[in-house]
Amino acid sequence: MSMVPLALGLAALGVAIGLGLIGFGAMNGMSRQPEAIGKMQTAMLIALAFVELVFLLTVFVGLAAVK
Amino acid sequence: MWNTLIQGTLLAAAEKHGEASAHHGPGYWGLAFYVGLAIIILFALMSYAKTGLNSRYFKNPITASFEQLYYFIENLAVGIVGPHGRKYIPMVMVFWMLIFVSNLIALFFPTGPTADLGFNFGLALVAIGYVQYEGMRSNGILGHWAHFAGPKMGLALIPINGMLFIIELISEAMKNLSLSLRLYGNIDGGHRAADAMNELGSDIYIPFGAFLLPIKLLTAVVQALIFSLLFCVYVGLVTSHDHGDEHDHAGDHGHTPEPAPAH
Repeated sequence: MSMVPLALGLAALGVAIGLGLIGFGAMNGMSRQPEAIGKMQTAMLIALAFVELVFLLTVFVGLAAVK
Repeated sequence: MWNTLIQGTLLAAAEKHGEASAHHGPGYWGLAFYVGLAIIILFALMSYAKTGLNSRYFKNPITASFEQLYYFIENLAVGIVGPHGRKYIPMVMVFWMLIFVSNLIALFFPTGPTADLGFNFGLALVAIGYVQYEGMRSNGILGHWAHFAGPKMGLALIPINGMLFIIELISEAMKNLSLSLRLYGNIDGGHRAADAMNELGSDIYIPFGAFLLPIKLLTAVVQALIFSLLFCVYVGLVTSHDHGDEHDHAGDHGHTPEPAPAH
């Protein structure tokens, strides 16, 4: 029995919390200052990409551990 | 050739995961086929868009959407890189269109160009290599490399500068990996998720994976955007921090720098 699915689930948990925090901050900022939505969206997307990369790296490391 | 093509694409996607499918991806001929398909679609779209350029306003819907795409990319490049970012618009546009069309191909075919790590790594190498070239051109070759070593902190702290140089070199090389892995993981991960959901519904003959199509469409747009966005950010990092350079650029290309458009 492999523990990799559990590890992937833990990684997904953490990354989901991080993504949610980014979305929370961006939504707050957008509703407070609607004229800055464009700038906030680009910054939000960059942050989302970096957080997402962590999970992808976890997936690759986990798959390498399975093989 | 057709044999290898079909073996590389359809059968690899049809066969079960985990058993003897160590090589997951389009394969050589499959990749050539899909890249050719992407390029054919791109050139067909562009040549069709060119036919609508002569009317007083753009009646051709493809031309109109290319115009919107141009405005979008211009906003991206000028907004992130700065006023001198206008000359990077063709590069950013090529990246956006190629990745977007490849992602759309990956939506409707078993694999796609961007579902292969090699293709993405090639794209990332082109992007980061161009960033290095631009950095060397705007800061000088020595200036670009010295920029990796951090600020001047005096003679006693030279070992710190050396360590910074090594760390910055590694992080610069890892940019290739992060760009390519992000794209590959998103597109190929979508395929794997669709496969797993199809297997879930295989007993009652309902392809649950098809319900993932809207999410995968969103991923296709966002990943193309993120690749070009990060390219802009990297170019902006190596070219924008000295303002004395601005005049050289204007002299090089024979036009005055345009003012940034109002957002």
